[in-house]
Amino acid sequence: MIEYLEEEGRMVLKLVYYGPALSGKTTNLLQLHEGLSFQGRGELMVLDTSGDRTIYFDLLPFFLVAPSGLKVKVKVYTVPGQVCHDATRKAVLQRADGVAFIADSQLKETQNNAASFENLECNLAQTGLDIETLPLVIQFNKRDLPDGIPEEEIRRVWGPTGLPVVLASALKGDGVVETFRTLAGLAYDRVDARYALGSVHGLSREDFLSRLTCLHGEEGGMAP
Amino acid sequence: MTDDGLNFLVGEEPRLDNLLLAGDVLPLLRALVAAGAAGACLADPAGVEIFGAGEPDAEEMLADLTLFLEGEPVARVRVRGDAARRRELVALAELLRTALDTVLRSSLKRALTTGVHTTVVQQSYQELLLKNEELTLSEARYRELARTLEERVQERTEELRRALAHLLQQEKMAAIGQLAAGVAHEINNPLGFITSNLHTLQKYVSRFGTMLAFYRDHLALDLPLETVADQAELKWRELKLTPALDDVGDLLSQSLSGAERVTRIVADLKGFSHVDEAGEMPVDLNLELERTVTVLSSQLAGRAEIIRELQALPPVVCQPQLPGQIFLNLIQNALTHGGTHPTITLATCCDGERIRISVADDGPGVPTGLRGQIFEPFFTTLPVGSGTGMGLAVVWEAALRMGGTVAVADAPGGGAEFVVTIPIVKEASHVQIR
Repeated sequence: MIEYLEEEGRMVLKLVYYGPALSGKTTNLLQLHEGLSFQGRGELMVLDTSGDRTIYFDLLPFFLVAPSGLKVKVKVYTVPGQVCHDATRKAVLQRADGVAFIADSQLKETQNNAASFENLECNLAQTGLDIETLPLVIQFNKRDLPDGIPEEEIRRVWGPTGLPVVLASALKGDGVVETFRTLAGLAYDRVDARYALGSVHGLSREDFLSRLTCLHGEEGGMAP
Repeated sequence: MTDDGLNFLVGEEPRLDNLLLAGDVLPLLRALVAAGAAGACLADPAGVEIFGAGEPDAEEMLADLTLFLEGEPVARVRVRGDAARRRELVALAELLRTALDTVLRSSLKRALTTGVHTTVVQQSYQELLLKNEELTLSEARYRELARTLEERVQERTEELRRALAHLLQQEKMAAIGQLAAGVAHEINNPLGFITSNLHTLQKYVSRFGTMLAFYRDHLALDLPLETVADQAELKWRELKLTPALDDVGDLLSQSLSGAERVTRIVADLKGFSHVDEAGEMPVDLNLELERTVTVLSSQLAGRAEIIRELQALPPVVCQPQLPGQIFLNLIQNALTHGGTHPTITLATCCDGERIRISVADDGPGVPTGLRGQIFEPFFTTLPVGSGTGMGLAVVWEAALRMGGTVAVADAPGGGAEFVVTIPIVKEASHVQIR
C-alpha cells in the first residue's frame, strides 16, 4: 500500500504488472484503458519509451470513493521487463498490494519467463514483500500465437501452486479484464482483512470490482 | 526495505501545488481575463481559491469545471463574466481546463520520471554503499583467515615434521633391532663353544682335584714311595689325566679367542652405534664403512660379495652415528634390491673439497621415473608390509644433517649407484679421530 491517511480519508493501493521483456504488460494496461469506462479511471501515463520499449514504467490510475467517504486510489503499474532495468523494477515493486505476472506463452520464451519469475521472487524478498501472502496472478499472454505452451502443460505446472492462472491474448483484449479483476479481488481481500473496507467503509468486494472494471456502455462507476 | 534505511517509493501521491506552479497557471488565467472574462480562478475541491486573476466576485459565475488528477477530482476551474458572453466564455473556460489538464499531466509525467530516476540512482548508490561495506567486511574476514591460515599451516607443518622425525627415529630403532638379531647370532656362536669348553674344564678340574686329594691322602699314610707311585700311576690312568692336560691348553686358548671375538663384536657395535657419544666429533668415514660391513657380516655372509675401493679420507666433523645410518641403509638397500647374489662395491674418494662415497650394486638399477621419489618417506616398491619405505629417507635425512647430499645414478656396469657427497670442513683436519 502506497499510503493510508486515516484522517484525510484516503487510501492508495498499488498493483504491479511484472514479467519478462515484451510479454505484453503495457498492452494489458492499454487494453484496460481502452476497454474500461472513463468514470473514475484516470488517463494512462506511458512514460518515456525508447523504441516502443518501456524504460521507466506505465501507470494507469483508478479513483473511487467508498460510501464512507474514503477515497480509494488504485494505481496500476508496469515494470520495465528488460533485465538491465532491475533497479527500476525494484523501485516500482515497493509496497505493492498485488502482482500480475505476465508470461509469454511462446515456447521459446520459457527460459525468459522462468528468469523473470525468479527475479520477481528475488526482488520481492529484497523489498520486504512475502511472496506467500502477496496477491499474485499469473497471466499466460499471447495465446493467439502459434507454438505456445499447451494449456494442459500450464495447468500441470501452475496448478499445484494454487495461484490463479489466466490465459490471455492482450492484443485482442482476451483475458485482460479477467486478470485485472482477479488481481484486484485478491488485493481487496487482503486490504479488507486489515482495514475493513466492507464493514467500516461500506465498500463491498463486488462494488469495488465493478467500479474498477466497469466496461464501456455499462451502468456503474460513480460520479466524480 | 525500510529496515535497511532504504525508503524510496515510486508512486507517492503527487500534491497539486507541486505540479501546478503559479508561473504555469497565472498566465493562462490572465489570458482569459484579457480575452474578456471578468475573473478566472483555480480553486480546491472545497471552492477555496488557489490562483486567481481579474475580479474574484464580479459578474456571474459562468463556468465551474472539474480538474482531474489520476482520475481524482483535485481542483475547480471557475470563470466569471458578462452573461451576455456566456457561450464564448464557457468555451474559453473549457479551453483553460484542457490547457491546465495538459500542464498537470506533463508536470506529473516529469515528476514521475524524475522521481523514479532519483529513486533508482539513490537506490543504486545505497546498494553500492552496502556492497562496499560488505566487501570491506569480507576483506577483513579473509585477511583474518589468511593470517590464521599461516599460523595453522605452521602448526600443521610442525606436527608433520615431528611425525616424520618420529618415524625416522622408529626406522633407526628398527634397523638397530635387525642388527641386534644378526649380532646376537655372531655372539652366540663363540659364547656356545666357550660355555662348552668351560663345562669340559669343570670336569677336568674335578678330576685334577681327585688326583691331588689322592696324593695328599696317600702321602699322609706314610707308605713306601714306590707303592704310592704305582698306585698314583694307576689312578692317573684311571682319571685319563694325560689327554685332559693336553686338552686344557687348547680349551683355554679357544675360549680366550672366543671371548676376544665377543669383545670385538661388542666394540664394533658400540663403535657403529656411537651409543655413548653425544655431540659432533671428527669421524673417519672409511672406518665407519668398515664397521658397518662388520656389523652386517652375518647378513652379508654367503649372500653378497663386497668389493672395497677405499681411498684415505680426511676426517669429517659430524654426529658420529650419522655415517653408520647412511651406510647401513644403503648396503641393506643393495642387499634387498640388488638381486639374489649381488656384488656390492663400496668406493670412497676425496677431491680436496668434497668426499664422495658410493655404494653400487649390479642389480636391475632404479628406473628413471622413480628416482625423484625413492628418497621420500614411505616410498617403497616392496609389497605392502614388506618395507617401511623409510630406509632411503633416513639416508636422505642423515646426509642432510651432515651438510651433504645423496643421489642415485646408474652404476658403471649396470645396477644402482648411490652417491653421498659430503663437503669437507677444513678446520676439522687436525683433530684427533675417535
